Amino acid sequence: MVNVETALKEATTTIEGAIGAALVDYGSGMALGHVGGGKDLDLTVAAAGNTDVVRAKVRTMEMLGLKDEIEDILITLGSQYHLIRLLKGRNSEGFFLYLALDRGRANLAMARHQLKKIEESLEV
Amino acid sequence: MTSVPVPGLAAVSPLLTRLAAERATGALLRDRGTLFLEDGRIVHAESPSTPGLDVLLTTGGGLAPERWNEALSEAGATRQVARFLVDSGGLAGGEMEICHLAAIFDAAFFALSPGSGPSRFRRGATHWIGSMRSVPAAAVERETRRRRELLDAVWPYPQLDTAPVVPRPAAPGQIVTARQRALLARADGVRTPADLAWVLGRPAFHTLLDVRRLAAAGLVETPHTRPAPPPAAPLPDWMTQAQSPDVALLRRLRDALEASL
Repeated sequence: MVNVETALKEATTTIEGAIGAALVDYGSGMALGHVGGGKDLDLTVAAAGNTDVVRAKVRTMEMLGLKDEIEDILITLGSQYHLIRLLKGRNSEGFFLYLALDRGRANLAMARHQLKKIEESLEV
Repeated sequence: MTSVPVPGLAAVSPLLTRLAAERATGALLRDRGTLFLEDGRIVHAESPSTPGLDVLLTTGGGLAPERWNEALSEAGATRQVARFLVDSGGLAGGEMEICHLAAIFDAAFFALSPGSGPSRFRRGATHWIGSMRSVPAAAVERETRRRRELLDAVWPYPQLDTAPVVPRPAAPGQIVTARQRALLARADGVRTPADLAWVLGRPAFHTLLDVRRLAAAGLVETPHTRPAPPPAAPLPDWMTQAQSPDVALLRRLRDALEASL
């Protein structure tokens, strides 16, 4: 059985360039679990802040009349990628995975694919 | 983590802090909820102010109520209900853990609410849900404090938390998301945020936060009644305990006052 901690550990150890990962409760902005990050990246603060990012995108899609759902959100910084992946299971709607990557070392396409696999492992 | 005490951040519950330090196992009972501890860490929490895991998983999630009832009757006696639900294929282990963690923090927010009355600790007590994951008491206290601050940062009207939710029409062009629509559609002017949490199968804190956001956006009426005054400091016994007035003293006092005029 995959639990939250092993999933997050897998994300930070198997995904090339990973700096930290968190599982976030969208309704409260709380990180239910986080691995890595360190003093340079406070993942609990990132969790709360990125909840606002997801909410803003949901509102924008509503404005545009897009009847679709968000699979993931990518934010590109000068030195990092931040990847937000929304959970889709019937019982895990309202949660998202958050992954920070070192831009110099990460393979973005690979990281997205791996994060998707990790998300699925939580839901089966 | 720093252990330096920050001014203004008093412990949410001194008893909880002490029980965590002595690695106690049992149930911490407060007016608005119960925290279950195992070796000083919190393994479960429940509160009458918020829907339990059963409602979150059935009404709010995809679990059939029959599966929940089956798990209760099969594994309730052995206190392994959560484990049974996962092992029997009712839901994924990751989902169970995520929902359980969310439920723990949600119930703890209400159980640890200020003025929640005296606390009692029933040593050795466990919950039939069984332990899936444990969280440090300090993390629960920290999160409870963050949630209180978040509510007030969004829209500082605590009376919204307990008053019936009264929707207001959206302004032309104002965006209402699907999640908000679901809440507003069920707000009939009678249901409080807690009632809505039950109907929607969502954690009660999430509903409080949604209602505050809706009120800030003008989509829900903000009650105009002034917030209740903070409870006055308790009066000393000599004032509240009914005693027959000391008539002789009062007479002497009156005479002295008259004499000084």
